[in-house]
Amino acid sequence: MTRYVMVIDQRRCIGCRSCTVACRTWNDLPLDIVYNPVLTEGVQGEWPNVRRNWLPTLCMHCEKPACVPCCPTGASRKDDDGTVWIKYDQCMACKACVNACPYGMRQQSHLRPRLHQYIQKCTFCRDKRQMDPSAQPYCVLTCHQKARVFGDLDDPNSEVSKLINGAETFRLMEDLGTGPQIYFIPDLGGTAQ
Amino acid sequence: MRHHYWEWPIATYLFLGGLGGGIFALTAILQFFVFPGITMVSEVLAWPCFLAIVFCGLGCVLLVGELGQPLVFYRAFIKNTSVICWGARVLSVCMIFGFIWFLSYIPWDWFSGIAGFLAIFRDFCLALAGLGGACVVLYTGIFLSSLKAHSFWATPALPVLFTISALSTACACITISIGWWPAELTLNTLIVAEVIHELLHEIDVILVVCELVVLLVMVLSFLGAGNVTANKVAHRWVNGSWAALFWVGMIGLGLVLPEILYVFAGGTLASSVVAPVLVLAGGCLLRFLVVYSDERAPLPGEDLFYEKLPDNKAPFIHKWTYGKNIF
Repeated sequence: MTRYVMVIDQRRCIGCRSCTVACRTWNDLPLDIVYNPVLTEGVQGEWPNVRRNWLPTLCMHCEKPACVPCCPTGASRKDDDGTVWIKYDQCMACKACVNACPYGMRQQSHLRPRLHQYIQKCTFCRDKRQMDPSAQPYCVLTCHQKARVFGDLDDPNSEVSKLINGAETFRLMEDLGTGPQIYFIPDLGGTAQ
Repeated sequence: MRHHYWEWPIATYLFLGGLGGGIFALTAILQFFVFPGITMVSEVLAWPCFLAIVFCGLGCVLLVGELGQPLVFYRAFIKNTSVICWGARVLSVCMIFGFIWFLSYIPWDWFSGIAGFLAIFRDFCLALAGLGGACVVLYTGIFLSSLKAHSFWATPALPVLFTISALSTACACITISIGWWPAELTLNTLIVAEVIHELLHEIDVILVVCELVVLLVMVLSFLGAGNVTANKVAHRWVNGSWAALFWVGMIGLGLVLPEILYVFAGGTLASSVVAPVLVLAGGCLLRFLVVYSDERAPLPGEDLFYEKLPDNKAPFIHKWTYGKNIF
């Protein structure tokens, strides 16, 4: 069975935010919404031992998403392949899912007409993958450092499987029990291979 | 970081919903368990129940107005796993059957035929409205505490606190409004109203103390042992920017002063009017304080990222037009 995950290699990310721009452009996002912010805590440490880590984020497409069961309309859904998405024509923008998501990855644009607002989030470019199952999300395609890798975790030969099995990874806020499906390879000071 | 999406309509809705549900729950308990067989009990409680319907209706209007798509609010009834869905259902049951029950007490001549017919279903309607009301009271707290992204909400103490507060405010509202129209002004109704008034007065004395204890336990336990996010909120309540609201408004004027008036000024206007009004104001303030304490644990660097984003009101942002920016 297919289980889509994304591996983000912090050793490779240089914080150029190409992924953010690509996502915004291709998905025609309103200007007050960002699906995949690239975060940083700024420069850490003391000279000469200074470093700056980048944390590219997006919806965690959790195994047990907090945002899906709380949706009263059934608009928030999870596919068998692990993609968490919103059926926009069923959403009434009650914001229960926005408040349920521990990662803050669901947003509501206030720039849409007042009576036609809905909640938006990253869908691993689900619409694109429906047309071409082998397609990659735009943020992955545009990353020139190959810091984002997308694939099927249940396929042992996939790149994501090899990366997760071959390197130390972590997931954000694992203690909440939501089972986030975005794996990060931390930058521990080494060099990316 | 602040994860602020729900505004004052949600806080007001939680207050009004709890108040309305509490009134129906107390009315059903009084009629079926405390004074079974005395039909005059329901009659003197008809006006408070009418107010409860108005409160619940107003709460629903606020809730629907807060939606991004208010015209399709009926979608809220669809999914069984959602707390909001169950809340919408029990609120509807409470309001619909409560309204039918109230109609059966309307004394207008031209309405007597309908009222007489509806009177057959009084007990059935009150039972359902009371059950729905009890569920609404529980739901308002469970609604927030089920959202575990918010550390200050995700505690079992919150449903307990909201339940006690809802019942306390319901007692206060009933004591102010009991015995008005459509109850007839007779010696019997006055006696029944006075007996219920005294009973609810004593119950509210206990509920206010319970609310005070649960509130302090919840906030102070977060202050001492909560995680970083909940601890930050608790500090804001106890000795931060909201300390005056919490200590003077919520604890002082909303709980301690009414308790003093209830106990030491019994039989006076201060006990029968001022104290219940303060309890109601305290209940409302509690919902506002809780709803606005919607901090979420930030991701590393998240605060910094959102600080750098332009203000939503910036002119260039409003130049964006949906569907015309496809690359």
